[in-house]
Amino acid sequence: MSANSSVTVVQLDSAAQANKEQLHLLPCEIEHNGPAEVSRFYSPTVKDHKHEMTVSFRGRPLKGQEVNCPQGYTGLVLKEVQRPSSDQEDRIVKVSSVFNNFTRWNLETPPTSDDGVVMAMMWPKLAEAIHGPIDE
Amino acid sequence: MDLGEFETDNSVSCRLSSPIPDLCKNEDCCLGIDEAGRGPVLGPMVYGICFCPVSKKEDLKALKVADSKTLTETERENLFMKLDEAKSYVGWALQILSPNTISNSMLQRSKYNLNALSHDAAIGLVRYAIDSGVQLKEVFVDTVGPAEKYQEKLSQQFPGVEVTVRPKADSLFPVVSAASICAKVARDHAVKGWKFAEDLGDVDTDYGSGYPSDPKTKSWLLKYLDPVFGYPQFVRFSWSTAQTLLDTKAVTVHWDDDEEDGEKAAARQNNTSVLSYFSRKPSHGAHPREPHRFFSERKLQSVDTL
Repeated sequence: MSANSSVTVVQLDSAAQANKEQLHLLPCEIEHNGPAEVSRFYSPTVKDHKHEMTVSFRGRPLKGQEVNCPQGYTGLVLKEVQRPSSDQEDRIVKVSSVFNNFTRWNLETPPTSDDGVVMAMMWPKLAEAIHGPIDE
Repeated sequence: MDLGEFETDNSVSCRLSSPIPDLCKNEDCCLGIDEAGRGPVLGPMVYGICFCPVSKKEDLKALKVADSKTLTETERENLFMKLDEAKSYVGWALQILSPNTISNSMLQRSKYNLNALSHDAAIGLVRYAIDSGVQLKEVFVDTVGPAEKYQEKLSQQFPGVEVTVRPKADSLFPVVSAASICAKVARDHAVKGWKFAEDLGDVDTDYGSGYPSDPKTKSWLLKYLDPVFGYPQFVRFSWSTAQTLLDTKAVTVHWDDDEEDGEKAAARQNNTSVLSYFSRKPSHGAHPREPHRFFSERKLQSVDTL
């Protein structure tokens, strides 16, 4: 919990105009925050042969799997409109793109059902079962 | 030489071959192995075999095949045409190892080095010739590595075949010269007609020789460096020239199998550095409750700030 009193506002109405972008989740940490030439370097080199998705990143072989967002959920990519100059100021965040699925990439072997991210998608269903109202 | 099959997908390895001459299925044959494009940081490496009946060795010699490195590109093209005209007794096959195949192999979790990759390509080609019915008796190979070990490896693979591994074999044995010409012509065509899988628009094709020492190659590598993705698949990422440029000009990428050490790496990986045991622990408030394994395994965390 942050000690300051600032409020973060997510402008959800911006989701309507947001782009629907293809998302890739890579099995490495890239020390970069910002735009990347995905459509020039990455997307055109992705191959989808008989349900096996392959690509290379920095010369290393990756295998991919499509992961759907849990039912009833939409994925959001948020972007800060303007970075506040002090931590007392409110922060405004808008939706820069929305997604209903993404590609999970793994090094050399395809992501399996015990992949953390793939398994994480089950949580909303489980949470609903635990916390949802009980029908009489 | 038609590289159509390779060009439809130049990110993988591809085999091209001539028809097998009937004569080679009925007579004892000799076969030469050579490669082209081992050193360059750009483009594919091509392994080539060429074979003919032992009785036709002199005819092959009469075609005046020579080590491909001593010939001009036009001379190589002409000699390849001559080999094609001699198809009643000369056959060839090539294994084109795309730069992406080379990068992927060498940067695998369990590293697959260039020598092993080369040997396997050569063995695969000889196996192909035998499986296609070529009556193989003699094999001649050019080598850059230690000859004895390679000779032993090949002899074991192909019992009953006399194997000669010799440095500079491409200038000593016409059948190896012929293999070197086939390989070099394919490599030249592949580099010249390279179709970039990436969406790069009009690509500057002035990449020089492709050797790391060539200033033209170096400036091309700088021009097409992307800070996130590195290079197009035309580049062998596993070459130290490429790696060094990426280390200095591109953003750092960490993989889970990186061999990092030190406090910084430990901190990044959320491990505890041994040094942390000597520093004073922040001890305000109660100990936060560890989330259940269910959440940590799924990398799920509660977020209350952005």
